Amino acid sequence: MSRLNVLLAAIVMANALYLVRVQHHSRRVFVELDQALSESRRLALESQRLAVQVRALSRPLLVERRAIDQLHMHTPTPGITHYVRPGSSGVAP
Amino acid sequence: MSVSLAYRFSPLLTSKTPAWRSRLLIAALMLGFSGLACRAAYVQVYNNDFFLHQGEVRFARTLELRASRGRILDRKGIILASSVPSWGIWASPDDVDGNPAKRQQLAQLLNMPLDELNQKLQDTKKSQVWLKRPVDEALAQAVQVAGLAGVYSRKEYRRHYPEGESVAHVVGVTNSDEDGLEGIEKAFDAQLSGQAGSRRVIKDRSGRVVEDVGERRPPQDGQDIELSIDSKVQFFAYQKLRDAVLENRAKGGSAVVLDARSGEVLALVNYPSYQPEQRDRLQHAAMRNRAVTDTFDPGSVMKPFTIGLALETGRVTPETVISTAPGSVVIGGTTLHDAHAHGDITVQQVIQFSSNVGTAKIAMRMPAQQMWETFSRAGFGQKPELNFPGVASGRLRAAKNWRPIEQATMSYGYGLPASLLQMARAYTVFANDGQLLAVTLTKNPPPAQGQPVFSAQTAAQLRHMLQLAAGPGGTGQKAQTEGYSVGGKSGTAYKQIGKGYGSDKDRLYRGWFIGMAPIDQPRIIVGVMIDEPSAGQHFGGDVAAPVFSAVVQQTLRMQGLAPDLSVKPRILAQASEESL
Repeated sequence: MSRLNVLLAAIVMANALYLVRVQHHSRRVFVELDQALSESRRLALESQRLAVQVRALSRPLLVERRAIDQLHMHTPTPGITHYVRPGSSGVAP
Repeated sequence: MSVSLAYRFSPLLTSKTPAWRSRLLIAALMLGFSGLACRAAYVQVYNNDFFLHQGEVRFARTLELRASRGRILDRKGIILASSVPSWGIWASPDDVDGNPAKRQQLAQLLNMPLDELNQKLQDTKKSQVWLKRPVDEALAQAVQVAGLAGVYSRKEYRRHYPEGESVAHVVGVTNSDEDGLEGIEKAFDAQLSGQAGSRRVIKDRSGRVVEDVGERRPPQDGQDIELSIDSKVQFFAYQKLRDAVLENRAKGGSAVVLDARSGEVLALVNYPSYQPEQRDRLQHAAMRNRAVTDTFDPGSVMKPFTIGLALETGRVTPETVISTAPGSVVIGGTTLHDAHAHGDITVQQVIQFSSNVGTAKIAMRMPAQQMWETFSRAGFGQKPELNFPGVASGRLRAAKNWRPIEQATMSYGYGLPASLLQMARAYTVFANDGQLLAVTLTKNPPPAQGQPVFSAQTAAQLRHMLQLAAGPGGTGQKAQTEGYSVGGKSGTAYKQIGKGYGSDKDRLYRGWFIGMAPIDQPRIIVGVMIDEPSAGQHFGGDVAAPVFSAVVQQTLRMQGLAPDLSVKPRILAQASEESL
């Protein structure tokens, strides 16, 4: 009888220790998950910030100024535009 | 030589110990364990709620989950407004270390001259001063790591408007709490805002979240709003309007580009404008969207509606001759004038030459009530159904109150103020076979249901007249553009000064041009208004028509529409075949 009690006590102790271990592991995994989600949100916001930055750098005012001042280009007109229609080799204006 | 003894023969074990000592020890241990058991019962059973609450107070936190404000996009998905996180470095001047070495370290971190930093920190009246914003996350962390007393970093969300001033009047602006104040930001504030969520968590000693407790309420991000605006057309219209306002030394100007088939607003610009990101420099006057909120006498751009009614009711045909000699007419004791005497001209020439006398004479053949009904059906005196703050309805008085002279002057655009947007919308009648379309600032509106104003035949006749008005001999010749047929009407209206229109010496003008292209099957309607031009020219055909011309050409080109007029090619060199 006393042997059975000792065995049961050992099983209870082992379960208790295992429970503590699982709880600890669960919290560690939860922390990792939470950090990963935070990082994901941070990257999403960073992506949004960069998209805005890209747009700010490619807005028509800047592109046009650079095209005119540095590349000596000018706004196209129908006279210098070659229109291509589907099924034809090309239509001059 | 040592003598070893068996353990059982140890003298210590043979000494007699009093029994009460062991009993006392056992009793003390029992008492100790009993105390622990009682305490455990007290904590776990009797007062469990209190201790649970205290535990939560110490380790559980409610975190707010911020909802991101929705973006505003143009019709091609280009970002017009977006909230992005940024960091700011601020300081409490009273608490900042005065040590020169520390100050120098901070100045180096912020990449700021030491004098400038000291100047900012001198203002001890303020409890906090911004040292630098926005800064990137790395710098914010570096400042935190440096651990300088009284210097902190703060994460904040800022609204960015990458297109700047060209689209400012449409998109609007938010305050520092991201509440919409103007434009689309205000009109769609509820959809853009979203709702913050929350989660209850347990944090460990180092502040890490280790467990979710309770129910998690996820944040609902604001919706993106897709506008009908084309940012390229918008920019081009803004640029041309700005150039025209500066060239004509005008007080300001506005331009509207509408899709003639759907009623979508492709561009809506005003000059002067403002930089929406520079909130501290915002001026109310510059923030007003004049094209939508301000109403003026439209002048001669109104004439096609009067002529349209006369054609529709069969009172005239395009070839009916109207005598405008000697360039003036007296109605109710008041003399109305033409800019030049034209003699006998046809109805279509009345539009082509923009004759006030001819239009007034035709108007006087019609009952005032019929004119009122037509103008009303064309949207005058009515607020356009546009979800935008401050949309003006203009004014159209009841026909029973019209005196004959008022009926005559209203026929050519005086006494019925309207906004530029209203006027441009009214011209959808001519572009859509007599149907008035609703205008919208959002993409993919429901299929346009036109409201009939004129018949398709009358609309076609008026389009032809508008083409003549923008052609050789017309008042709007400068509206012509290379490659595309255009039609439109110029207008030059006196500005109201006090209760009148001033005298010849101090008269102020507004120049208008509203038209469409290509004229046979219009794709776009463009309206331009220049306010108080003062560089010598003030006629709408001189100051507003060139803007119309440039905007039409570039808009149709950007839409990929091939010219409907023959164009002399100026492609100098054909590309030779590339060798592979």
